[in-house]
Amino acid sequence: MTTSNAIDPAAVTETHLQDGEVVIGKTTIILRRFLRNKTAVAGLVIFLALTVFSFVGGFFTTWDKSTIDPFNIGMPPSAEHLLGTSQAGIDLYAMVVEGTRISILIGLIVGLVSVLVAAVYGCTMAYFGGKVDKVMLFILEALIMMPALLVVAVVTSGGGANLRDQLPSWLLLILVLLVFSWMGAARLIRSLSMSLMQRDFIKAAQYMGVPARRIVWRHLVPNIGSLLVLDITRGVTGAILAEVAFSFIGIGIKVPDVSLGVLIGGATSQVQTFPWMFWVPLLVMFLLTGSLAMMNDGLRDAFDPTSSSFGKARKAGPGKTQARKTSTSTLPAKRRNP
Amino acid sequence: MSIETPGSAVLSVRDLGVRFNSENGVVNAVRGVNFDVMPGKTLGIVGESGSGKSVTSMAVMGLLPTTAEITGSVRLNGTELLGLSDKAMCRYRGKDIAMVFQDPLSSLTPVYTVGTQIVEALTIHNPTMSKLAKEARAVELLAMVGIPSPKDRLKAFPHEFSGGMRQRVMIAIAIANNPRVLIADEPTTALDVTIQAQVLEVLQTAQQETGAAVVMITHDLGVVAGIADDIMVMYAGKPVETGTVEDIYYNPRMPYTMGLLGAVPRVDVGEKSSLVPIDGVPPNLLFEPTGCSFAPRCPLVTDACLDGEPALLKSPGSAAHHAACIRSGELGGDADAREIFHAPPVPVSRFDRIPREERKTVLQLTDVRKHFPLLKGALIKRKVGTVKAVDGLSFDIREGECFSIVGESGSGKTTTLLEIMEFHKDQDGEVVIGGISNKQAADAKTKSAMRKELQMVFQDPTGALDPRFTVYEVLAEPLENLGMARPEIRKRIMELMRLVGLQPDHVNRFPNQFSGGQRQRIGIARALAVNPKLVVLDEPVSALDVSVQAGVINLLDKLRAELGLSYLMVAHDLSVVRHISNRVAVMYLGKIVEIGDVDSVFDRPRHPYTRSLLSAIPVPDPQVERNRERIILQGDLPSPLDAPKGCNFASRCPVFAALPEAKQQKCLSTEPPLMPVPASPPGNIADQQFACFFPDGELDSEMVVSHEDPVVRAP
Repeated sequence: MTTSNAIDPAAVTETHLQDGEVVIGKTTIILRRFLRNKTAVAGLVIFLALTVFSFVGGFFTTWDKSTIDPFNIGMPPSAEHLLGTSQAGIDLYAMVVEGTRISILIGLIVGLVSVLVAAVYGCTMAYFGGKVDKVMLFILEALIMMPALLVVAVVTSGGGANLRDQLPSWLLLILVLLVFSWMGAARLIRSLSMSLMQRDFIKAAQYMGVPARRIVWRHLVPNIGSLLVLDITRGVTGAILAEVAFSFIGIGIKVPDVSLGVLIGGATSQVQTFPWMFWVPLLVMFLLTGSLAMMNDGLRDAFDPTSSSFGKARKAGPGKTQARKTSTSTLPAKRRNP
Repeated sequence: MSIETPGSAVLSVRDLGVRFNSENGVVNAVRGVNFDVMPGKTLGIVGESGSGKSVTSMAVMGLLPTTAEITGSVRLNGTELLGLSDKAMCRYRGKDIAMVFQDPLSSLTPVYTVGTQIVEALTIHNPTMSKLAKEARAVELLAMVGIPSPKDRLKAFPHEFSGGMRQRVMIAIAIANNPRVLIADEPTTALDVTIQAQVLEVLQTAQQETGAAVVMITHDLGVVAGIADDIMVMYAGKPVETGTVEDIYYNPRMPYTMGLLGAVPRVDVGEKSSLVPIDGVPPNLLFEPTGCSFAPRCPLVTDACLDGEPALLKSPGSAAHHAACIRSGELGGDADAREIFHAPPVPVSRFDRIPREERKTVLQLTDVRKHFPLLKGALIKRKVGTVKAVDGLSFDIREGECFSIVGESGSGKTTTLLEIMEFHKDQDGEVVIGGISNKQAADAKTKSAMRKELQMVFQDPTGALDPRFTVYEVLAEPLENLGMARPEIRKRIMELMRLVGLQPDHVNRFPNQFSGGQRQRIGIARALAVNPKLVVLDEPVSALDVSVQAGVINLLDKLRAELGLSYLMVAHDLSVVRHISNRVAVMYLGKIVEIGDVDSVFDRPRHPYTRSLLSAIPVPDPQVERNRERIILQGDLPSPLDAPKGCNFASRCPVFAALPEAKQQKCLSTEPPLMPVPASPPGNIADQQFACFFPDGELDSEMVVSHEDPVVRAP
């Protein structure tokens, strides 16, 4: 009637974990489950390929993102310019390589750092609770209320002239994105840690007199690890999309820096005349965020203890399972004999 | 195996097999289960967790996930149920075959009223029934399961009911369509003993009303002793012994059954003897066993046992008695499980010889109170009352003794533990740990000196260990915290591992690689790491299987004797309390109602609450179970908010209900103080105190249930 009463096959095996040969490390299980999800593996491969491409792709062309080819202005793909050139006569292939690198860089840095910030902030809130929790939660809520779009617009174009002189525009965008990207994850981590706080091993550590900072770092953070990994991939996707969106409306990355968003944004008005300028970066962006989404799905499956990714008992696998299958199917025959 | 199906059996299961796929390979969860249930009879399926008893019931109900492979045959009145589609099964489920689940808190949908949920069960199988008729039937059902004012309660939501009440509603839903078979999967495991007694009564009433066959699945041999007609003991997915209740309890023929019976402490036996430990863990169901599946844990194992799995064969005794053991012929009624399983001798502590008054006090509580203000209002909170979780508690624990606190959930046992573990100087009342008072605990140094004297073992061994820590890290944490040097830590950890009976080379494993009993041993080792004087045990064995429980209890007993430890234990299982405690306190609504030497309190309980608590405990002995009188308390623990001014227990007291008006007034107006029991030979002061004005008063006949003459209580 309710799912909580359903039989969990994992619980059936649980008591037998004693024998050495049956013990499978958690990492192995997660890896196996991830590898079993073909879509996720494909996602990982595409993402890695794009990353490699963004770093070494530049060596396959003689052009770079700032050199103007005066003989090929606004030309469609040709032997000389693999993906064609822009109105200004710059090689699109070189720009795409550069843009992909910047986008991945922004995504990875923002994804990783924001999750780290969120983890420490969320765990600290949950551990101390009470007044500390209230104040920190207020700061968090205030940041969520702040219109991120406006701040980005002001920092990257209007105000903050001093900052803009000293930092490249992509670094500036990373900083701004970082400030606004960790709150959601922090709230999630806070509630998860709060339920962890109720667990007896935290209480045991407190009753032993272990200092608070050690408990947060040694007991809380590692135990929300799987959530953190998921949050990182999600954060990376989010950051890439945010960068594209900001650059698209003209307030993120500024020329001469290139990113996928800048390329897409710049080409929207000329989809009819220079279609390659629009579709190529858009395709790369889809590949990038799509591959991350595919990976995320597989990761969730792998980390989820209730996932049924090990398949059916009915499905005859190779080897042992096959042998069992035949032995059970002969059972009814045996029963008829006597 | 060819067992003839008796024509009258309402449910007959033949060669049932269930296999799951898991990360490690295919698990053979159930391997060849056969049983028949006659109408109006009760079959008890007993086994440890992982023995396949729940999977069997789920297979019968057709509730297993589609990933499972089910073979064999399940016939309900001759109709084959296995292989039916989910839709086809729905015609039987809830009508001919119904189920009561373990956890009443999650078995009801929180967003619908109880009435709606009962009517829903009726509507599905009786589409033509009129609305009025359905409502009338729902009221009738609620009345049958003993819910007061059933008509009004129809409109109540599940959260307005307590756990025991919700389980009654579940039973009402299950019997709504007069099922032929009722499957109860651990129906009372999540409930308090007093509520358990109520629910078992209701189940029996329900069976009498419907004439259904009941399949009762449980791990507790006491629960089925009184109500089952037949018992099937399961081990490693297979029945290992079947027979009538008498066969199984008085004349077990399979070493596993003997071990199980010997592993349960008895609440009605005061004589101290060690429990029967069954070493090892159940076998791995990934591999087809080549010999007897119990052989690796069996003390009587011979070479012949390893040669093929023994079949369930006829044993001496009644016609139905079968056992799967090649040596069952040798195990007569006079075989002693304690001898067979080499139960250790009863350990004797060096403190046992010293009179209690001359031993040092390790913990003293004086008038400890913990009151929680109850606030109401959304924006501006105003106080509407006080919850007196702990109300003026005083007791002391001497060196080398085990002191237990018992009571229903909500009686303040856990709050008491927390007050001790989280001592601070602004507490209401005084807590003295190892000679240092909480009033002096201002600086970190004093606090850590007090912490060193006091360690805790938790209820759930899995939750108490960080899953990311190896055993070494778990045990090293308290030692590192004391600033011990690395080589010394290593040495101490090896010492601890041996002390609690674990292999020292297992220190690099993670907690999930150990069984529940071993995890609890790790928890005990961690508590002992800093050499404390007092160990606080919070339900130390309630999460463990019976056979494993015995080993842990024996270990605790041994450690107390060898290391001169004192224990403060909180437990709801009075049999365990009786087995290992020296002194006991019974708590009710934040107050101690009876305290004293464990044998005095259990053999001659004075307070009516202690008496009802003791009478509610099921004893694993069918004869005793059937013949004894039980006091079934009415209702649940009252909310601490509307605790009466006088005696807290008055609202449920069986003595109070039978008292004349004038005496009742005394109970209601004055709070009874703790009074010592008058010593039988004058001058010899008995160690027992209780808080009741009329301990010798007659019991209200309404609340006494005797099983020889089953009383169906009127709603």
